[in-house]
Amino acid sequence: MAENSSKVMSAKEAIARFVKDGDHLVIGNYTVGTCAELVFEVIRQRKKGLTLYSQSGVFDVEVLVAGGCVNRLVSTYVYRAGGKEGGSAVERALKAGTLEMEDYTNFQYNARLVAGMHGFTFMQVFEGAMVTDLFKKRSFIGDNKYKVIDCPYTGKKILTVPAATPDVCIVHVQRADKFGNAQYWGALGSVTAAALASKRIVVSCEEIVEHDIIQSSPHLTIIPGYRVDAVVEIPWGAHPTEVLGYYNLDRTMYALFFLMDMRGDSLMAWMDEWIYNCPDRRAYIDHYIASYGAGKLDAIRAKSYFSAPANYGAAFTSCWDNDDRERTMGVTLEEMERILEERGLLYG
Amino acid sequence: MAKKYTLDELLIITAAREIHDSENVILGVGLPTTAGAMAKALHAPGATLMMESGIIDFRPLVPPNHIADANACRGFSYATDLFSAFTMTYRGFVDVCFLGVAQIDKFGNVNTTVVGDYYKPQARLPGAGGAPDFISYAKRTVLTMRGGEFVNKLDYFTSPGYLDGGDSRERSGLFPKGSGPTMLLTTKGIFRFHPQTKEIYLAQVHPGVTVDMIRKDVPWDLKVADKVTETARPTDEEIDFVRRFAPTEAVGRKLMYELGMAHAIRQAQARGK
Repeated sequence: MAENSSKVMSAKEAIARFVKDGDHLVIGNYTVGTCAELVFEVIRQRKKGLTLYSQSGVFDVEVLVAGGCVNRLVSTYVYRAGGKEGGSAVERALKAGTLEMEDYTNFQYNARLVAGMHGFTFMQVFEGAMVTDLFKKRSFIGDNKYKVIDCPYTGKKILTVPAATPDVCIVHVQRADKFGNAQYWGALGSVTAAALASKRIVVSCEEIVEHDIIQSSPHLTIIPGYRVDAVVEIPWGAHPTEVLGYYNLDRTMYALFFLMDMRGDSLMAWMDEWIYNCPDRRAYIDHYIASYGAGKLDAIRAKSYFSAPANYGAAFTSCWDNDDRERTMGVTLEEMERILEERGLLYG
Repeated sequence: MAKKYTLDELLIITAAREIHDSENVILGVGLPTTAGAMAKALHAPGATLMMESGIIDFRPLVPPNHIADANACRGFSYATDLFSAFTMTYRGFVDVCFLGVAQIDKFGNVNTTVVGDYYKPQARLPGAGGAPDFISYAKRTVLTMRGGEFVNKLDYFTSPGYLDGGDSRERSGLFPKGSGPTMLLTTKGIFRFHPQTKEIYLAQVHPGVTVDMIRKDVPWDLKVADKVTETARPTDEEIDFVRRFAPTEAVGRKLMYELGMAHAIRQAQARGK
């Protein structure tokens, strides 16, 4: 279990300490708010032999596979750039035999994490998939990709998937406190399950806020502090993907990436420029501004649209009223102590 | 001169001392929440206090009225649901929980459901609540018994302690290794469980209580520690905290009702009723 002290650290330290070669690593974010800087740091540290879990593997999965970090991929959706003429890092790696992939549906993938999150060993999923090749064609998970059982109540055949309990989750959120309480809002996807199913959790956030902010909005917390191993403050940490309330998706950068992603050599050139030659996110953003100008970032900065505050107030926060009398019994502390003494209720 | 304390204060403070820093703690209403509040304020600031309703990491400012009482604190860190609070326990993230007892047997098995026949009850008690799941999967469980009784056989087996004693809990394969009740706190003393036989034994007595007085409450030949000591006295700081935080609990239920009623009547008279 995570310790309570000094969880705040750099991405470099967090990835070095909590992501090991050969780990099962899950990308907590689903499509939006991708933990881009944590992903980049995994690549910079040249982690090897990862089994990567990604609900929807777009730009994050592409760079991790191209970076040679991943041997095995569990996903439901991968990206391919450029139509017939195009390609993807995943496709190239599958062709080269350097990557094995196991396909699930979105629901099945999420169900595996939900089972893991709750400590169950498997989860019921929808039985229709039994007629498909999802069920029939199996890769490295083999027999344990799915099992069919009889429902003990109806006798019906039930399709199940095994729980997933990745070694480590990397995940980006809007804000967190220094204890690791992580708050995220917007498309919830499978973010909570991915984080809570994992043994270790590395959280990056747009900003670290005072504990008081978290306390007054606990409904926004998706990962409790006691589960979190590292908290990393990374402004623009999900760029070029979007973070609700902070910035929009950077369409120019996204388009550029997918153009380069079509071929292995051009993708490597892109990664050299934006990952290997930028030691951290600050350097990446500086390089972005130097290349495209600060105006491009300003153009995607979010304008505020605050949710109505939830009122967590109560009538009072002490048993003693303004006259220092106990609210139920109407006595002061001195009177109370005198009564206890008179009744012989005190020891010692 | 050291401050004098009430029996209820002694019980609360003794329970609070079972909570260590940085632990995850499941609290029920009454004594446990006050104990948790004291631990967090005085010796375990890094403890994460939790209630099964899904209130996670709270600092109570007044004693909660029930286990879903967010009015008792000023915000908290994580709002989850009951299902997740229990699966979190099942996965081993709870270090210590506190449970009340109506009947307890020699091996720490607990009844909180019924006295007498289940189908024709002499006294129908609250029931299971969270107890069976918490005592099953929390790393440690502290039991408290204030109105309950020791029995040879439970009228209803609500919550599993050490089953038939010895290694039977572990052998069942149903519970995490090393889990189970570690302490029973009553109005007369403190009981613990023998590391091998898992039989409950008397470890300490509260001021003014003798071993013989306790033996009278137990229908079997109660094992007693080689050297039964007196329950450690609370510090002034602990007494001050409990008395300020939960005055109605510090004075005990009987006096609380008496003074509370008197106060309500005074208020009514002041309004001319």
